[in-house]
This record gives sequence, C-alpha cells and structure tokens, in this order.
Amino acid sequence: MNRTVLIIGIVIVAVIVFVLFAGLGKDPQHIDSPLVGKPAPPFALKAVNTGETIDLESLRGKPVIVNFWATWCVPCYEEHPTLVANARQMPNVQFVGVVFNDTEDKINHFLAERGSAYPTLLDANGKTAIAYGVGGVPETYFINAAGTIVAKFEGPMSTEILQENLAKALR
Amino acid sequence: MIATFFLLALLQVKVPDAAQFVGQPQGTPLTGQQLEQQTMAISHELRCPVCQGLAIGDSPSIMASNMKAQVRELLERGYTEEQILSYFEKSYGQFVLLKPKFQGVNALVWILPIAVLAIGFVLVVSKAKKLEVAPVHAAVEEEPTDDPYLARVREMVEKS
Amino acid sequence: MTATLGRFLILASVLVSTTGAFIAYAAGAKRSPEGLKWSQRFAYAFAGLMVLATGVMEYALITHDFSVQYVAHVGSTQVPLWVTIVSLWSSLEGSILFWGFILGIYIAGTTWVNRNQHQEYMPFAIGTWLSCGAFFSFLIAGPANPFLSVSPVPLDGPGPNPLLQNHLLMIIHPPMLYLGYVGMTIPFGFAVAALLRGRLGQSFLRPLRASLLLPWVFLTIAIMLGGWWAYEVLGWGGYWAWDPVENASLLPWLTATAALHSAIVMERRGVLKGWTVTLIQASFLLTILGTFMTRSGVFNSVHSFTQSSIGPTILIFLTAILLFSVILLALRIDSLESEGRIESAVSREGMFLVNNLFFVVFTFTVLVGTVFPLVVEAIKGKQMSVGRPYFDAMVVPVGTALLFLLGVGPALPWGKTNRKEMLRALLPPLITGAIALGIGYAFGVRNAWTLLTLLFGGYAAHVTFAQMWLPLRQRLKKGDSFAPALIDTQLRRGRRRFGGYVVHAGAVIVFVAIAVSSTMRTQQEVTLTRGQSTTFAGKTVTFLGSEERTEPHRQSTIARFNVAKNGKTVTTMEPRMNQYAAMREPIGTPAVYSTIGGDYYLSIMNLQGDQAGVLIINMPMVGWIWGAVLLMGAGGLIALIPVRRRTYVVVPESAPAIDDEAIA
Repeated sequence: MNRTVLIIGIVIVAVIVFVLFAGLGKDPQHIDSPLVGKPAPPFALKAVNTGETIDLESLRGKPVIVNFWATWCVPCYEEHPTLVANARQMPNVQFVGVVFNDTEDKINHFLAERGSAYPTLLDANGKTAIAYGVGGVPETYFINAAGTIVAKFEGPMSTEILQENLAKALR
Repeated sequence: MIATFFLLALLQVKVPDAAQFVGQPQGTPLTGQQLEQQTMAISHELRCPVCQGLAIGDSPSIMASNMKAQVRELLERGYTEEQILSYFEKSYGQFVLLKPKFQGVNALVWILPIAVLAIGFVLVVSKAKKLEVAPVHAAVEEEPTDDPYLARVREMVEKS
Repeated sequence: MTATLGRFLILASVLVSTTGAFIAYAAGAKRSPEGLKWSQRFAYAFAGLMVLATGVMEYALITHDFSVQYVAHVGSTQVPLWVTIVSLWSSLEGSILFWGFILGIYIAGTTWVNRNQHQEYMPFAIGTWLSCGAFFSFLIAGPANPFLSVSPVPLDGPGPNPLLQNHLLMIIHPPMLYLGYVGMTIPFGFAVAALLRGRLGQSFLRPLRASLLLPWVFLTIAIMLGGWWAYEVLGWGGYWAWDPVENASLLPWLTATAALHSAIVMERRGVLKGWTVTLIQASFLLTILGTFMTRSGVFNSVHSFTQSSIGPTILIFLTAILLFSVILLALRIDSLESEGRIESAVSREGMFLVNNLFFVVFTFTVLVGTVFPLVVEAIKGKQMSVGRPYFDAMVVPVGTALLFLLGVGPALPWGKTNRKEMLRALLPPLITGAIALGIGYAFGVRNAWTLLTLLFGGYAAHVTFAQMWLPLRQRLKKGDSFAPALIDTQLRRGRRRFGGYVVHAGAVIVFVAIAVSSTMRTQQEVTLTRGQSTTFAGKTVTFLGSEERTEPHRQSTIARFNVAKNGKTVTTMEPRMNQYAAMREPIGTPAVYSTIGGDYYLSIMNLQGDQAGVLIINMPMVGWIWGAVLLMGAGGLIALIPVRRRTYVVVPESAPAIDDEAIA
C-alpha cells in the first residue's frame, strides 16, 4: 500500500466532493447583496405622469419598498397587480417603482393596464439601479424607517414574500 | 451629456453618485482614445450581473451597457480604476469583480498554482535523479502461463 | 408503443451491463477463457441495445411521435429535418442516451479489435467499461429517462433550444465532444485492468496509448469547434471565455496530452508507468466531473442544461469512482514495475518530465479557478468570481513555458549527451526564432508575451521541421532514393513519429495565432446613422440600413454594412440582433469577414431604426487557429494508423489440419 498516494488521493477527493456537494442546491444565478444592512443610497427621481420629484430622504420615517421593473419584463408584468394591491392595503408603507431604459409611453400603457397605486420613477441611464446593485428585473428592496436596507428580493413578488420581508423592515 | 445634466439639475433630479461610495476622484480625467481604451479595459474586469459569466465589455444586455456608460463617465470625471472597481464592488459585492482580489481567502486562488509549480518542480528534479540511478530490469513481458492459448500451443509443442 | 420499446431496451441494457460487469471481473480474477468469451458477448450485447435504443429515439423524433416525452420536449414539426435529427443531443435526457450510444460503440469496437489479444487484461477492462455503461444506463432508465410516455399526446412541440439552430457548427461540436469525452472511458478501463493485474507489460503499452490517442483527436477538434462556434455566433468577438463548462472540456484534454507524452517515455525506457496510469485515470475522472458541472446546475454557465435531479446522482458516481481509483492506485501502483532508467535529466526524457509538470500545473490552475467560487461560498458564505482576467494572467506564462519545451525538448537527444552535442542541437534554431521575432516586431508586435511566443514559436518550428525530416535525411545520406525513402520513413515505419511532429507543427501555429490574435486585436465602438461611414483598420464601413425579420422562434433586426478598402467594396456584412422568444436578453449574431491575414468582425451593440451602435474588431491571424487545430487532429490520426507487424496467429485445437510435427 503506497501511503503517499493514498493520503494525497483521499485529500484531493475529499476537497472536490465536499465542494461540489456544498454547491448543490444553491442557485448560481442568485447574488447576495452587500447593501443589506447599509443605508439606502439616496436618490431623487422624476415620477411619470405627475412629473413631481420624489426624494428618498424625504420618505424617512416610514418603511419604503423600492421595486425595480421594466415594461418588457414578463415576471414584472405578473407581479405588478400584487404590488398594487398590497400598496393600497398598507398606506403606512411607501411603495416606489423605479424603471430604467424605458419610454414614458410604454410605462403609462403598462400602468394603465396593470394598475397604479404609487409613484413610478424614471431612472434615466440606470444609474440608480447600478448604485443599488440591480442585476436584472424585477428586484425589490425593503428599507426601514431609518433608511437602512433590510432585505433584497430578486424575482417576482408574491404577497407572502412581501409580508415576510416587510416584517424585517418593521422591526 | 451637458444638456442632460442641465435638464436633470433643472428638475432637481439626483441619482446616487459614486462620490458617496468612494469619495472624490483621485486621478486625472480622461478623454479621446485613452478614455475608450480604459473604458474597454475596465469593462473587461467587471462581470455582467445578468449574463452567465460574461464581462460587461462583452455583453449586449441593457444592464451591461448602463454599467459601461457609468464606467466611461467616471473615467471622464477623473476616477481611478481602483475607485471605479471599488464603487461597483460596494453595490454588487465581490461577485462583480472578475479578477479576484488578493486579500483574505481569495489570495489562495493566486498562491496555490504557484505553490503547486514550486512543489512540482522539486518533485520532478528528485524523480529525475531517482530515475538516473534506478536499477534496470528486463522488459516486463507477459508470462507465458497467463495466455491460455499460448499455453495450449506450448503443450502441444512439448507433446510432440 | 415506441416509448415502451425504448424503456424496455434501456432496462435490458441496465441488466446486461451490470451482469456483464460482474462476469467480466470474475473472468479476470479466475483467468477463465470461457469467462472472457462471455464478457465479450455481454459487451457486444450492451452496445447492441444502446444502438437500438438510440435508433428508436431517432425514429420517434423523425416521425414526430409526441407520445414520447423527449420528443414532446424538443421535437417540432416546424423545424427542418437536420434540426430534428440533431435534437437527439440538444437536451439533457437525449444527450445522456447519446452518451450511452457512443460508449456502446467504443466498448464493442475495442472489444472486437482486441478479441484475440491481451486476454490477461481484457476481462478487467470490459468489466470496468460495462460498469460505467451500467451507470449511464441507470441514469437513462431513471432520473434522465427520455422514453417516458406523455398523455394526452400534444399536437406539436417547442423545438430544440433556438441557439442550437443557429449555426452548422452546432451539428458537429457535440458529437465530436462526446467522441472525445466518452472515449476516455476506454483507456481508463485498460489502466484499471493493468492495476488490477498488477502489471503493465511492454506489449500492452501500445494499445493503451492508442486507446488514449483516438479520443484525444476528437476532443482536440471538439474544443476548437466550440471556440469557433462561440466566436461566430455569440458576438463578443472572442473564442474562449474560461466559462466553467469550457474549462470542463479542457481539463481532460490537458491530462490526456500529458499522458500521451509520459507514455512515450514509458515505451522507450519502461519508466513512469504508475504516473502515466494516474494521468489516464485522471482524464476519465475529469470527464465525469465535467459532465457533472454541465448538468448539475451548480455552475453559472452559458452551456448549462436546465437544472435537474441528475446532479446528485452523478456526484455519487463520481465520488465512488474517485475513491475506487485512489484506493486501487494506492494498492497497486508499486507493483507496476519500472524496468529502466533515464540516463540523464538534461535530455529529451527529462524534458518530458518538465512537460508533464507544466501540464499538471495548467490543469490544476484551471480546476482551482473554476471551483474556487464554490469553495469560498461553502466556507465563508460569500460570493466571488474568478473570471477571464485571472485565467489569462495565470495561463499565459504556463502556455509560453510549454511552447518553450515544444522547441527545446525534441531538440535534445535521447539519453546522455555531451556539452558540444547539446549546443549543436540547441543553438541553430535560435536563428529561426530570432527571424520570427523580427518579423513580428516589423508588423508592430510590442507585447512582451507575444514577442516571447514568436521567439519560442520560431525556435519550435525549426526544431519540429528538422526532427520531422531527420529520418529521411539519414536515409538519403545512406544513399537511398528519395521517393521510397520518403514513403517509408514518414508514412510507413515512421508514422507515429511523423504524426507526432505534425501535431507539434499545428500546436506551434496555434500558440502563435492565439498570441497574435489576442494582443494585436484592435476594436472600435461607434454609432452610425444610415449612410454614415467610419474608417477602421484600413477599411471603411458604411451603415446601409436595417430591416426587421420575423421568424417562428425569433425576431431579428438585420443591419447591413458596406465594407470597402481603398474605395473598392470588399464585401457586405449583415450582423443581426436576435430576440428569441425563449430568452430574456437579446443575442447578437455577428458578421465575420475572414481572410488569411485575419478577420474583420462586426457586432451590433444596439440598433434603433436608423441608428446603429456597432462594435468593429480587427483580429489578425484568428482563422489560423481553426486550421492549425485541424492539423493537430490530422497528425493524431496519422499516428493512430497501426503499423503492420508480424503477429502470430494461434490456431485453435479444433482445426483438424494441424500437424503436430509441422508446429515443432
């Protein structure tokens, strides 16, 4: 029995197998956000329709849910009514939608079809999205009353997930 | 470019700025050919968050184009490569850096191959020396008894 | 009906391969000729069942039998026939069936070729092959069953992934890759047989090496085809992104190449047996790792098949064969007697050792880089990336070292030499190296690594050519006439040697072409309105306009550009932006204009009506890469053609005409 071969071999096998087993079950597409637990990057963007400028800092004092979406995104289309319904039911939570790389026409068309209960803001060249570390759409950030991001969710929203993450913001 | 700024300023729109993440620019603003080249270079160091492993310099997706535009703008304002990479790292995490940072556990990915080369070199030299003085055996051939057909032939030959 | 038949065939193959494996191992342990015969029969039976099952699936695909689940997944009445045929390997379940098909053919072929030889090894080898066959049959029968029935039967299907219908290269790349990948099972079986027997005899070295060389040829070409496809189809102007699945195909190639080299020392000097066997085992194990990486969903890659439950199963198999291989090696490696020695470390033999060192470092680096993000996430829970900048930084020095060895190694004589001879061998090629360097410099090459590559490349080219024609020169010196000497030295007796040097010649071109095309590449991103032109790299590009085209599976916007040189139109190029129904982000298809000097490459970044954002890339020498790799494959094939030797044919006892006296 060649001890050297055995030991080196077992070590290599153990490392490889351990790593691969650990990798199973994880979603390689999911990215952890480093902003969770940090202050939300401030922004002030123009809302479609009303034309008023909404400043994030002015919303401090109540929890804020920022939802990044786009008109060409199918899961956004599906989640929108859920967001609208929840927004209507919870007037003490400020919902905000942010759209980048889209035209006002398409956005208005979308909102007319899917409903609107909160301001939708235009992020001209996606800079706000970049600052927030947005990878794809839809992505939703939960900010507490003190202005700290407490959670980020990637993917289409459901009422359950929304309530779950909102609970973190309300603590 | 300037018109957009003017318009945005008029509307009191403000977007999160790199300054909040990495402070004031510490390099000189770039223009022209140098600007394009540096934009390309840095774009190849940042990972597109929606694509599978591509750099933002290689991806046609919207997010990647926005990020590239942001890189170009920051270079125009005089941010250094380090600051720009740090800015993206603060928003997206280390995931977005295609070149692993040489710190902490990540340093291992740089050190291990070099270590293997060094150890391997020592092993090769010692093996070569060992082989130089190895005793020479006769060529290992198949034992006749192993091959049943040959064994039978031999039998028949011996019988006759 | 078809589905049931398919399922039956697969279940039968599970049974046949499992039983066959047991019988074969028993036959090997007992050294029973009867057992060997039965093992061979089971091997053929397994192959037959796999071929039949694949035939049934192809039949179901072509007749659009949507009652079979796989056909319902990837079939479509709207796609052309060739797409239907190749959709066999377009999706996970079908691709595993395809794996089994190729494995069956390899097993049957190798068993048949060796049906009357190496009876000491064959049972163990067949046993190992059939064990692998059993695993894959089990996968096909269980987690990845393409033959499940669908009810109610749909009227039509979605067709295979649209990306796969884009380019003809997609037809050949997967089969080539499978022929390479799956083929590594054969030398693995031989290696295991040698270890189980506890000996690796001289007469077995050749078949062992040949069984490794054949899949190597396929794998070499397959990797190149993958890169070429990425280059022609994906639009970012590159051919290798160090994507995890790309790396998965490269890893076994690296260890197999190392094994082919150490096998030469093994044949010549009878040493390094254990090491060569280890490398051969690693090559096979890496193919299983590779298939895990592609199918498990653990890695973020453009190639990944959709996530499925097959990952854990493959991982369990991988763990089992890893442990089996390690334990077998530990137990038996010392019994593989080495018979010789090398006379001096500074010799061709010594250079083979260094060659192996660098190949191993190369393999290790690519492996570490690919799995490192997983390691970090497992240990620290944080995500990080290891991308192209890392791999390029690490691999370029290693590759350059290998090119250096490609020159210096064959230049050195075998065995011990004195200083004078060594200098006589090593110095002259420097002239060619310097010339190559000078030419490159004159053409504007300034990058240090590329200049070094040119120097080493010129050196290696000189050595390769000199060595290639050495036997011929020696014969001509003795007075033989040209033509017969040429045929004899290169195409008859010296075939393996000649083939090897052809591979090296191709490799030198590949190294130089990769270096030049990467560092001498220039690009420009520009936005043009219709009618506007820009000049880049000596050519003028004019945007002529765009048009929309709707196809069943995609919406394309095609932009037309006129490319002119010195006022004369050279060509019209039509890159496009495709929005596939199935994909979120648009994918651009570039237009490539290839010449001997290099490629002119146009890719759309964005397109809005009359404004086109276009990326123009000028890449010298890129086309040389594809051709040179084909040359490498050709060299391998030349080396594979067996040299006819005198073999003793043993006539069985039952033949009545044997006269005992005649034998004596």
